[in-house]
Amino acid sequence: MAITKDTLKAMIREFHGMELSDEELDIVAPALDSYLAEIENLRELDLSNVMSGRILRAQEGGKPG
Amino acid sequence: MTYSDITNMTISELAPKIEAREISPVEVTEAALAQADRLQPKLNSFITILHQDARRQAKELEAALMRGEYKGPLHGIPIGIKDNLATAGIRTTVGSKVLADHVPEEDAQAVSRCKEAGAVVLGKENLEEFAAGPTSNNPHYGAVHNPWNLDHIPGGSSGGGGANVSSRVTFASLGTDLGGSVRGPAGFCGVVGLKQTFGRVSQRGLMVTSFNGDHIGPLTRSVADSALMLQAIAGYDPLDPSTVPVPVPDFSESLGKGLQGLKMGIPANYYFELMDPEVEAGVRQAIAVLEELGVEGREVSIPSMKYAGALRIAGMADSLVAHEPYLETNRQDYGPNVLYRTLAGQFVLGRDYAKALKVQRIIKDDHARVLQEVDFLVTPTAPLAAWPIDTETVSLGGVEYPVRGPGAGMTSRCTSPSNATGLPAMSMPCGFTKSGLPIGFQLIGRPFEEPLLFQVAFGYESVSPYRDSRPPVLDLD
Repeated sequence: MAITKDTLKAMIREFHGMELSDEELDIVAPALDSYLAEIENLRELDLSNVMSGRILRAQEGGKPG
Repeated sequence: MTYSDITNMTISELAPKIEAREISPVEVTEAALAQADRLQPKLNSFITILHQDARRQAKELEAALMRGEYKGPLHGIPIGIKDNLATAGIRTTVGSKVLADHVPEEDAQAVSRCKEAGAVVLGKENLEEFAAGPTSNNPHYGAVHNPWNLDHIPGGSSGGGGANVSSRVTFASLGTDLGGSVRGPAGFCGVVGLKQTFGRVSQRGLMVTSFNGDHIGPLTRSVADSALMLQAIAGYDPLDPSTVPVPVPDFSESLGKGLQGLKMGIPANYYFELMDPEVEAGVRQAIAVLEELGVEGREVSIPSMKYAGALRIAGMADSLVAHEPYLETNRQDYGPNVLYRTLAGQFVLGRDYAKALKVQRIIKDDHARVLQEVDFLVTPTAPLAAWPIDTETVSLGGVEYPVRGPGAGMTSRCTSPSNATGLPAMSMPCGFTKSGLPIGFQLIGRPFEEPLLFQVAFGYESVSPYRDSRPPVLDLD
């Protein structure tokens, strides 16, 4: 893992001051590894022109009541 | 008629007898409560059994029947409700210690619709803590056990529902499915599990849920019962902006229609790439049966599925946001698996979240393209059958995969894509491993084409040798 434990601890601390020990970080590691692997897998993929799938139904617009 | 005669029936078999007043809702409810009390020590499938409430409801429904007010096929039918669906005046824990004493003021919309249709709520069913995981091995309320082998998990997170429906405790259960949490337990417990199109059923009252892709869906013992349950809960909800105002068809109308001429897509990549050989044999056998029924099988390619793992990234961040108010004040009340898998969401960068949403879009487009070539897709429900309780990792294809806590996404790899696409998907039982554990296969359809899924599933079920299989727990003292 290229990210140091100190960096990870600092990132977790940003979440309401939560502290994680080294042992706890080791438990979280598989999820982080999986996340980083998926991002690496996306590196070859050009996502710049993917269209949004958001739709707005006509009846959601209209004049305010 | 004995209690066992009653509980062995499906809703479709029982409903005409209730309507004809051959069996009363009170009798049916007493039979179901007796079964629940007998099996709860073995299955641990409930967090709360509602003896008094169920009896009161049954008496009211009995009285209504006597007045000629028959509400329809769910009239007097005992069902289970997963304990992450709000129930007015009844504690709803979401399988957590954090919400152990939480009592909602309103029913979830789907629960409300079931009650209006005459269903009797038998109890609140056990689940994975916060519905976040595939085992239903709950650190606060104990593990749910699989009726086919009590040492094994029933799947998750709607494990109590899968166990109850399979073991004839409830006639149907309402589960929730964010990555396969209805279909997984259905596959592992040998019952029918439906995750209908996103937007078909209101999510209002589904607690501690994700922003992206959660569904409420039924577990049942037959396809016909699945159609009846969806009929009760489907429909636009003006208070849930995720629901879509499309007409609700008669879901039972397609049952019994022939399958000749339909085209099924068998994905050449991803879905069949990682799986236990016994599971693959069972699913391939089901495909052969569908072909014998006149369905034309075609191999299809869904290239974007090589990026499907990225779908989890958005879920990680969503989950952290959903848990934020509870984690801030009650971290100590979380079990370790859910705590650490949730905290991992703090590492997700905004850039990567945006990429995950774009991957979701291209996977959705790819499925839409393939579903113009074929009418539906067939895949395994899960890559393997139920594993022993307390297992931390499983080996598949020579690789060890975690099945609990952080990084445990492998077991839902076939089901979770349909949460991202929103497409309707259904798990059907299709056999057993040599050790007697159920195998499931999954049908995936076009948006709002649940009737076609019911047609195909019913056609398969009609010739399936597994349709009346009884789990061994029924024969234990």
